Amino acid sequence: MADPSNPGRNEVTARRRNAARLPLDGWERSLLVLLVLLVAGLCLSVDGFYPGFAGFLALTENFLPFGLVALGLTTVILTGGIDLSVGATAGLSAIVMAELWSGLHVSIWLAAVVGLLAGGVLGAVNGLIITRLRTEPLIATLATSFIYASIATALAGPSPPAGFPDAFNLIGTGTLIGPIPLQLVLFSVLALLFTLLLQYSTFGRRIVMVGYSSEAARYSGLRIDRIVLSAYVISGVMSAFAGIVLAAYYSAVRPDMGDVLLLSTITIVVLGGVSIFGGEGTIAGVVIAVLLLGFLRQGMLIAGYSDMVTTMLTGAILLGAIAIKNILSGRGTGLAALLTRIRGRRPATTGSAAE
Amino acid sequence: MTTLPLPAAGVPEREMSAAAPRRSRREVREITLIVATALTIVTVGLFNHGFMSTQNLRFMLLNSVVLSLVALGQTLVIATRGIDLSVAPVMGLTAVVTGLLAQSSGLPLVGAVGIAIVLGLLLGTLNGLLVARLAIPPIITTLGTYSLYSGLVFVYSNGTQVDSVPRAYATLGNGFVAPFIPVPIAVVVLAVALLLVWFMLNHTRFGRAILAVGNNDAAAYNAGIGVTGVKVRVYALSGLLAAIAGLMFVCYTGSATVTTGTGDHVELQSIAVALIGGTAIAGGRGNVVGTVLGSLFLSVILTALVFIHVPPIWYSAGEGLMILVTVTAGMRQNRGGAN
Repeated sequence: MADPSNPGRNEVTARRRNAARLPLDGWERSLLVLLVLLVAGLCLSVDGFYPGFAGFLALTENFLPFGLVALGLTTVILTGGIDLSVGATAGLSAIVMAELWSGLHVSIWLAAVVGLLAGGVLGAVNGLIITRLRTEPLIATLATSFIYASIATALAGPSPPAGFPDAFNLIGTGTLIGPIPLQLVLFSVLALLFTLLLQYSTFGRRIVMVGYSSEAARYSGLRIDRIVLSAYVISGVMSAFAGIVLAAYYSAVRPDMGDVLLLSTITIVVLGGVSIFGGEGTIAGVVIAVLLLGFLRQGMLIAGYSDMVTTMLTGAILLGAIAIKNILSGRGTGLAALLTRIRGRRPATTGSAAE
Repeated sequence: MTTLPLPAAGVPEREMSAAAPRRSRREVREITLIVATALTIVTVGLFNHGFMSTQNLRFMLLNSVVLSLVALGQTLVIATRGIDLSVAPVMGLTAVVTGLLAQSSGLPLVGAVGIAIVLGLLLGTLNGLLVARLAIPPIITTLGTYSLYSGLVFVYSNGTQVDSVPRAYATLGNGFVAPFIPVPIAVVVLAVALLLVWFMLNHTRFGRAILAVGNNDAAAYNAGIGVTGVKVRVYALSGLLAAIAGLMFVCYTGSATVTTGTGDHVELQSIAVALIGGTAIAGGRGNVVGTVLGSLFLSVILTALVFIHVPPIWYSAGEGLMILVTVTAGMRQNRGGAN
């Protein structure tokens, strides 16, 4: 019997089979319970966390840009890839928008549309490098993130534009239908769209299939390159969208404004139950993870903890959550295997030797 | 396609057949890097003689030491088909802890070395246990510990930073072996580390095990290799090397802040340098000499950009372009060798 801790190539399939047995909605349900408990706990214990319904909803404005990036990144990770350039793409797209507006006096709305298109182009560059040059997604997007960051800094110059029109700033700070932040409306609509796109459309099934087994996808005649390329374009556009929302929120842009997005967003996607190997995960899980980490962060900041302490806690939560998930599904050795034995099941991953 | 399970006996055979072309590929990569570095030095040196001066050459060499040390560990991890993002905060934490202790309470250098070793092994082992025991994917494990460890730096430093280090430290970072031998001590440290890691990877059972695990860890397990132990030790070594790099950093620059390591994205740079050096991201192949040459090449390119008056904002673009070109070209090269 193979060591359950070793996800060799032959074992990936066995692991997937095991993952299918694990009720996925169980993970989301646990996250949801955790979210409710967390919000209730924070409301009761942290002064100022619940300053009334409107103020509570307004808290989401601080972290929903992360959610926007997470939706796009989920698409890429579902294909089995990764996009490390999301932060740089967000920064560069927002700078493109701001420079068009301040330098060429283009209407801010038109400039924002161009910014979104720029995000799509940057994503397409990633996708083309990955599909045409056959470069690993990790390397390709690592390299382009350096390049995009440089271009953003160069375009922005020493004093990047600021002070956008008030109507535009409403994207980041405005409300709709009473106290509901416009950001929250936008995020909800997009989350719904992504659910439909990824879980209920042919395109979504193909994305998942490529991530699940690109070989199987190839044998069933899918144009893998095109599907992978479109995933990176989607990620680029969503990063650009997040950059534009951030620009509207601060009414300013900075070339490095997207830097904070990357690590937190990967954390969100993984915590949301999306497999880093691709082919497994739901948008609902990601949305819950966005809210969970976002409210936790805001709660701790309001309670007076520093940004770094909350970052530390985020890291611990990520590790703890994945460890618990692995232990419950019988992966891992040592403690994990011991718990599996106590639960009276044999280690789930038997691997190639058993076949 | 279902890959047929390899019988245990077939594993070493496959390893050996892969080893023959690997050797020649590796040499090609090293020669390419040396030629590219030399060409850059000569070309830029023709326009600006200061670039070829002994002083500048020594500066570029010294400048690559810290990254080389981190990248050596990263190479081992990548060779097992893993990745270690936490090297940056491990480096930063060691730099801040040893630097602050030296600055405030005059910690002797031996003590600093001891602290670096303990810290590096401890933090690295935690990574290894999470990866090998709990089967958390390496990128997620080290992303999580990246946050944890950088939080530790912040908590420990508590807003203070290192501005100066005692004389012994500065000598380790900048001094020569002896007044009459103009070889920097830091370069000797790197050379020793390189020699040890190179010997370990290429001439010991442990090294073979690392490559076997990276090639196919299920097969390695079936072949009787203690996969869990190999992984834990590799991450521990990566932590150790990152910690030593942190100590060398504080000795070399005489300063350390909360953002040391993480601010310069040492984790990404070390991955880039390892790949430039010919280590395969898919595991099973590690070239530590290439890694150090790649780090030197990066240092030369970045210094060259300064000499030919490229604005600093383009440095990271140059780095990105270099990663893209070398890794893509390297993959072409490898594919050519395989066919």
